[in-house]
Amino acid sequence: MRIRKALVTAANPRQRTLPLQTLVDPHGEPKSALQIVLEEAAGAGIEEFCMVVCPGDEAAYADACGALRPAVRFVTQPAARGYGHAVLCGREFTGGEPFLHLVGDHLHVAQGKTSCARQLLDVAAAENAPVSAVQPTRESQLTSYGAVGGRLVGGDRPLYQIEAVLEKPTPTVAEQQLIVPGLRAGFYLCFFGLHVLGTEIFTLLDEQQAAAPDRPLGLSPALHTLAGRQRYLAFAVAGRRYDIGAPYGLLLAQLALSLSGRERDRVLTQLVELLALRPTES
Amino acid sequence: MSLRVTDIIDSGDNAKRNLAIDRWCAGRPAAELLAACAELDAYRRRETNLYKRVRALFFLTAIHRYHLPARPELPRSGRVPFAGFRHLLERRFEEAIAAFLRVQTDQGPSETLSSALAAAHHALAFQTLADQVRRTVRSTRGNAWMFRLGHPLDQPLRVRPELLARDTPETPHPVLRERTPVRMDLTHCGWSDIFFLGMDFPEGARVLNISIDLGVHGRDAAPRPPVEAFFRVIDEPVIRLASVDLEASACLTTLDEVFDFGRDYLGLLKAAIIAAGLVPPGIERSGASLAELLGAIFGPGRGFELVSNVNRIPKGSRLAVSTNLLGALIGVCMRATGQVRSLTGAMDEPERRSVAARAILGEWLGGSGGGWQDSGGLWPGIKLIEGAPAQPDDPEYGVSRGRLLPRHTLLGHDRIPAEARRKLQDSLVLVHGGMAQNVGPILEMVTEKYLLRGEAEWAARQRAVATLDDILALLAAGDIRGLGAALTANFRGPLQTIIPWVTNLYTETLIELTRAEFGDDFWGFWMLGGMSGGGMGFIFAPERRREGQERLRDIMLATKREFQAALPFAMDPVVYDFAINEDGSVATVLTGDAALLPVAYYQQAMPACLRRAARDLSARERRDLQQFTHAARTQPEFSGALPALLDRMLPTNDTNGGSGRRLTELLAENGFDRAQHEQIRSDLRAGRIGLAMNRLSATTRIEDVKPGALFDATSGGSEHRAAGAAALRRGEVAVVTYAAGVGSRWTQGAGVVKGLHPFARLGGRHRSFIETHLVKTRRAAAEAGAAIPHVFTTSHLTHAPIEHWVRGAVGAAWESDVWLSPGRSIGLRLVPTVRDLHFAWEETAQQKLDEQKEKMRESVRAALTGWARTSGEGADYTDNVPEQCLHPVGHWFELPNLLKNGTLARLLAAHPQLRTLVAHNIDTLGATPDAALLGWFQASGATLGWEVIPKRIEDHGGGLARVDGRLRIVEGLSLPREEDEFALTYYSTNTCWVDIDRLLAVFGLTRADLANEERNAAAVRALATRLPTYVTLKDVKKRWGHGQEDVYPVAQFEKLWGDMTALPECRSVFAVVPRARGQQLKDQAQLDSWQRDGSAAHIESLCAW
Repeated sequence: MRIRKALVTAANPRQRTLPLQTLVDPHGEPKSALQIVLEEAAGAGIEEFCMVVCPGDEAAYADACGALRPAVRFVTQPAARGYGHAVLCGREFTGGEPFLHLVGDHLHVAQGKTSCARQLLDVAAAENAPVSAVQPTRESQLTSYGAVGGRLVGGDRPLYQIEAVLEKPTPTVAEQQLIVPGLRAGFYLCFFGLHVLGTEIFTLLDEQQAAAPDRPLGLSPALHTLAGRQRYLAFAVAGRRYDIGAPYGLLLAQLALSLSGRERDRVLTQLVELLALRPTES
Repeated sequence: MSLRVTDIIDSGDNAKRNLAIDRWCAGRPAAELLAACAELDAYRRRETNLYKRVRALFFLTAIHRYHLPARPELPRSGRVPFAGFRHLLERRFEEAIAAFLRVQTDQGPSETLSSALAAAHHALAFQTLADQVRRTVRSTRGNAWMFRLGHPLDQPLRVRPELLARDTPETPHPVLRERTPVRMDLTHCGWSDIFFLGMDFPEGARVLNISIDLGVHGRDAAPRPPVEAFFRVIDEPVIRLASVDLEASACLTTLDEVFDFGRDYLGLLKAAIIAAGLVPPGIERSGASLAELLGAIFGPGRGFELVSNVNRIPKGSRLAVSTNLLGALIGVCMRATGQVRSLTGAMDEPERRSVAARAILGEWLGGSGGGWQDSGGLWPGIKLIEGAPAQPDDPEYGVSRGRLLPRHTLLGHDRIPAEARRKLQDSLVLVHGGMAQNVGPILEMVTEKYLLRGEAEWAARQRAVATLDDILALLAAGDIRGLGAALTANFRGPLQTIIPWVTNLYTETLIELTRAEFGDDFWGFWMLGGMSGGGMGFIFAPERRREGQERLRDIMLATKREFQAALPFAMDPVVYDFAINEDGSVATVLTGDAALLPVAYYQQAMPACLRRAARDLSARERRDLQQFTHAARTQPEFSGALPALLDRMLPTNDTNGGSGRRLTELLAENGFDRAQHEQIRSDLRAGRIGLAMNRLSATTRIEDVKPGALFDATSGGSEHRAAGAAALRRGEVAVVTYAAGVGSRWTQGAGVVKGLHPFARLGGRHRSFIETHLVKTRRAAAEAGAAIPHVFTTSHLTHAPIEHWVRGAVGAAWESDVWLSPGRSIGLRLVPTVRDLHFAWEETAQQKLDEQKEKMRESVRAALTGWARTSGEGADYTDNVPEQCLHPVGHWFELPNLLKNGTLARLLAAHPQLRTLVAHNIDTLGATPDAALLGWFQASGATLGWEVIPKRIEDHGGGLARVDGRLRIVEGLSLPREEDEFALTYYSTNTCWVDIDRLLAVFGLTRADLANEERNAAAVRALATRLPTYVTLKDVKKRWGHGQEDVYPVAQFEKLWGDMTALPECRSVFAVVPRARGQQLKDQAQLDSWQRDGSAAHIESLCAW
């Protein structure tokens, strides 16, 4: 399976400016968050991008795409009808091919040299199945992410067969439905903001929209159904995701990028100075 | 080959595994039983399976408690090492067992040591079971995360946005209301829903559980879901709690306050908040800020308010009101935070199970514990609830056979048609009899009997399990008459076989009267659960149901009046209206003008707001006032509440005036000595008297009795029998029974006349202590062929009811053979000093409770200390019904009162040949004018003769000791060191033989002086001053609301008869008597072992009914 296309959603009306924020990438170059996301995907072999944005945001996002601008097509989501609906807006772009799906407000920092997107695409190609990147996440963060339950597939990679997907579950529900053998107590596999999906997801989204046309359409329920219908995997990538929409998310993302790049020493030194100067509470 | 004792536990063969331990022990000598104990002890230490371990522990308990003591070759007396006893109190049961076994190895086995080993094994068995249930509750999926959470930043819960939505800041926050029915158990499941049973015997744990709406007949317009919980966000970083039924509210600002369960009446609401994860249990004692934690859930500066309402349904209804309230409270909190997906409407099955699991956790946190069917109100309609075997994925797998949470199968209209449901409702009358009793001991007995597989009980349990299918079939067929018969048979058969104490005289009388009045139209009686006298069901022919409702109320009220002196009633009986609830627990979001809390909430909260200036009110209070005003204009329910609101705000007549006057009258009537009382108060406040001062000086030498210093009556004392029998024939003996007490321990301070309490079935029906004593004396008199006068000493608390009963019962014998000696001394209880409270709690050895109960106790103690301070230490205790404010002043006065009130003079006038009295406690059922003991005593030439028994571990409160060389009875509270008691071999039964003339001489009197009342009174006063006065703390109950009760420790004063043995001019002799004769029945929890160890049969053998 070769993946050439990436669908990026950035149409959440509450977070429409997040991907436009400027950060300094690991090479020390100032870039928009969007550009960093796109470059990671491009580095993994993606050739075409489709961005689902709010109406009127196209120009600002186009400016933020940097050198990849020519490879990016924009689709607008006319009204905020849910994450799943935003994905559905990209259906035409995918043209029946499996695709990489990214969210515009998540940055990824890989542990090694292979980018997170690359790791995921490699797994998808090897397994020839839809696969979502996941990260073991503490239960206190559960209510910020989609989470999966399942079992280890085996082999030397942290690859799981997904049995259930729940959007932002409480730990009460997660303990009952999302237990994954082998994880530390209190940790769950939460989405990373990177998925390789086939076109069947659009069928499922269609079905769910038809079943409840007045309700916002989520992606997780469709993924849950997907897990029931076919082999759908989760892969714990060697890396970490940074949700720049979370409180202090942008700051932490910037620190992670800098500390993994060539200016690590400079940032670290300044951090230490900052810590030393921190006034103590009386 | 004979079956080894451990094979019973290990066997794969059902017949062997279900063999009763009693059968295995029968006929085996003590040596073999001791070897079995050693085998069981080794077995339970190496066995990893929880239930096998627990069963071995109960086997050990049974052998030490019942079988070894029954072997004549087992030595009677031994010593319990104090260190082991301390371990026992501190709940270090393994250490206690080790200490007792060491002494058994060194000194040999004895009945005394066996009693200690039985107690330790029993406690260890229950602790093991309880620990396992707790571990399972904690590790149940969905609960475990709350124990890991330790910092507010980790709080993952967020309030549902719908509960924050409002148009303007002036609009009230939406209110989320949960309405939950209660449950009734149509089968009375033989207590098979106790967790211990359900987890070991899931096949036998089955109940037919029905959710019902409830109303009080004659008060409420129609049945409704009785339980309501309300939740709303507030703009303050605090938790506000209110229970409108208990009229209690609190504002919690710190985490410690949330975990302080005993501080107020809001423990259930606090447990709900914790069990729902809003303030997770893991964060206790973290030092974190409550505001920060609330900020994580609700946003900075916000908190929430939780309000409970049970529509004035009385406590103890046996309909699981409190568990369902806990379920509703937890449910509303879980909905508000997205743990239950449905914000409104009913819950789905996994959601109900989540809430039920949390309710179990909440009950554990609150230190209480119901059965697993109790949260049945969360489910709709009629359901079959069954134990479920543990599966490999369950945390219980490999630990217990069953799962913690049972399986619920909803029985829809296809299984139980609408017609059958209607028929049930058309025939059943639900009532609350007015009694509220502690069911804890019953549940322990049931568990123990199950694990021991007592033959009769085990067969009864099998029958009870099978009954369920019959009952289900009858219900499905709409055969309510048959259902009534089956329920009655279940009550008469299996239930009373498993626990005879499940019924009482009150219940039996109600059934009898209803049967007499309704004949064949009374189709059956249905025991609702737990103990008798609370929730009950009566099934009538449908055309007479309405009449049944009306008549039952009158019958119950009349019967309650008849028995209220003898049985602990918490309130007047009520009749319910009920309807099957087909929805289960349902939530609604109330917004805008409809976002109202219960009416009673406003009635309680508004007066305080109205008394303050408008500018001082918070925005929430202003909004509440506006909403209430608006609702009062538009809704009849709210406008109807206005007069009651005015009553609360305006001064009214003192409602306590009546009882205050009665107290004053009672004091005057009973010769209350105000001057002496003031002296006692000033001594108490100054610290001259107090609990610490009760003790003898630390230099006092306390030693055990020397061998041969007392008469051994255990082997019959035949050498004195003939002389004693002759004295009986000559009519030289009278019996004195102390009947002044109100059964504080028996009823946990409820204040009933203990003498009249129908404590057990003897001779085919319930008998009171007084009736039993009279029958024994009558039989002894008949055998002697001479009169044996019987005197009951009474107090202001007991005289009138006892006189009423005795006059009716003895007819012509009144004041010829049966006499009452009214008390002539009375005390007024005092608010205790904080010093004495601390002494009682800290300086005396006390049973340590398990972790949660211990926390609860600490918190209650802090509240009681606060109460003592604010009420005034040493102030008169008058804030209760008069009977609970007055106290008898100790049993020393019982015999001197015979002098003061002229009873002895009249008795001697009627029976001049009398020489000897045998005086005993009301609960010493085995005490009789025994010929051998009488012969011994008369031959001894002593003034007083005392009966003692070899101590068992439960025999507390002193004993027979040599105090600085003099052999005397010494009270436990006067021993300088607690361990001194453990050096003593014998315990005083308080049964005392009295030589009338010699005792008169001690008082400086003769028979001729008895007519001179003044002289008698002076003689008593003079001797009294020579005897010590003890300060004691007594628990008294204060009743309020709808069956609610509080227990207060209050100070009172006593002089004790045993101190007569310290007077040099009063010669005492001592005899050791068999336990069956000296055993006292102090506590309801003793009843079961009293029956099993043959004591009850012994008492029957003394009586001729």
